[in-house]
Amino acid sequence: MIFPFESLGSADREVGLVVAVLIGFAFGFVLERAGFGRSTKLAAQFYLNDMTVFKVMFGAIVTAMLGLVVADGLGLADFQVIAESAASTTYMWPMLIGGLLLGAGFIISGYCPGTSIVGAASGNVDGLFTIVGVGLGSLLFSEVYPLIQGFYTSGDQGQMFLYQLLEIPPALLAGGVAVMAVGCFVGAEVVEKIYTRKMSGEEPQLVPVAPRRLVFATFGFATVLGLALLTVPVGARTQIKTEMCDACSVGRIDAEELARRMLDEPWKLLILDTRERSAYEEKRIPGSEHRALAELDSYGLAYSPGVKDLVLVDADGLGYAPPAAMKYPGRVLMLAGGFAAWKAFALEEPPMLTADASDEERAGFLFRASVHQKMTGSKAAPPPPAKATNFTAPKKKRGGGCDG
Amino acid sequence: MNPEKFWNPYVAGVVLGLVLLSSFLVMGKGLGASGGVNRVAVCAVDAVASDHVDDNTYMARLKTDGRPLLDSYFVFEILGVLLGGVVSAFAAGRLKGGVIRGPRIGISSRLAFALTGGVLMGVAARLARGCTSGQALTGGALLSAGSWVFMLAVFAGGYALAYFMRRQWT
Repeated sequence: MIFPFESLGSADREVGLVVAVLIGFAFGFVLERAGFGRSTKLAAQFYLNDMTVFKVMFGAIVTAMLGLVVADGLGLADFQVIAESAASTTYMWPMLIGGLLLGAGFIISGYCPGTSIVGAASGNVDGLFTIVGVGLGSLLFSEVYPLIQGFYTSGDQGQMFLYQLLEIPPALLAGGVAVMAVGCFVGAEVVEKIYTRKMSGEEPQLVPVAPRRLVFATFGFATVLGLALLTVPVGARTQIKTEMCDACSVGRIDAEELARRMLDEPWKLLILDTRERSAYEEKRIPGSEHRALAELDSYGLAYSPGVKDLVLVDADGLGYAPPAAMKYPGRVLMLAGGFAAWKAFALEEPPMLTADASDEERAGFLFRASVHQKMTGSKAAPPPPAKATNFTAPKKKRGGGCDG
Repeated sequence: MNPEKFWNPYVAGVVLGLVLLSSFLVMGKGLGASGGVNRVAVCAVDAVASDHVDDNTYMARLKTDGRPLLDSYFVFEILGVLLGGVVSAFAAGRLKGGVIRGPRIGISSRLAFALTGGVLMGVAARLARGCTSGQALTGGALLSAGSWVFMLAVFAGGYALAYFMRRQWT
């Protein structure tokens, strides 16, 4: 697996933010070229005489989905890993109601939040009003959040993907969706013609069919390619995955990050401790299970859903990913420095800060101290108080009673 | 000068899909809009009433990573969207101020509708954890169950209200 470049979210964060601007630029550019800077064009979707919104949106979904399936088949990326990192958790009820409300807001304002930005960028004042509305609306949500918190978290399904529900490979479902999309596109063309005649009484303009045919053919080709790559033996793909992983050393997690994730989202971690059993019994990472490396193969990692990230813990850090672990369908992370690093981070008292420590060091210290307290039950001393800046003693009054 | 024509919708769809795909492959993230707008809004509140942001559970959690509110991936991304929109509109000869509206509605009513619809979408997008970009497009391509429910609901909501909004658009 080569993609995604995980460092862009951590060590090379600044580069990641530049990439964000570039991706956003392309996003805004395409939306404008599609005509989505104009509310009348967008709203026409709901009067059936211009289905551009549907065509662009569904076309984009199918393209990205099939592209990811092919990348997965070639061993360049992992569909499920990317799905788990980029898709939100499914909360059924708020998403259903949120969708209905957003659709209502769409036809009232003539934009959706993303296209309102493009509308404003094209100089359309109605787009600007819609963005301001979206900002106000999200603040309104924050204000009423305490009242609707119960509903906000209702219908929690965790991360839920349609291919898991249907128990078929993503490539097969993606192919099905692509076929359905082409069917819908053909239907949309017919509906558009009927409603254009009905609303304006004019004959619909003829659009060239060549681009449409080319796009449909590409979808067909990508679907077939994705399915064909499914037949490449799993063993060979595992081999590729292992080599790629060793080559680019992705899939390491340091003790601090592990502690952070254990506090934030422990349900997303499957921690396996591969040290000697006696060492495990003496001290272990909370929530971890013991599995000797030799037993890993019989543990059935290849058949688990792969929803959690598998974290492997060794005494001093594994130099390579064990082949049995690489069969795991989800993300595999090796604890950098192994249990020794964990012990140094979480079980030993954090070194005291000096008074001139920066805010960042201070925040790091507080986090470490809280982890240490949770893991050991003993409380570390608070950091030294922040240095007061530019303190000057008040001037003493001169003169007065006894001075003279 | 006549503005350039819009792209063929199928071609635009494929290009948009390739943008989304690059975002998945390079960053492991999708596209977004409402989340960035929310951060900008919270930042504006923070500038005038910082305590209020700290007191509100939903807003305060944007601050937990200790970074400035605007120092966030999706804020930079929507900045890109704005730039991309300006450049594209300018290059196509479409960059001019105005209010886009149907033939039967006045400017002030149109703007009132634009604001009202925006407020509704702001609430809805927070409730659904994303809008048409972050939820429908991104989650849809990844075959997330909740995103597909959301997407179908968006179209259902739009069509349900279209009849009552026809004076604004047709």
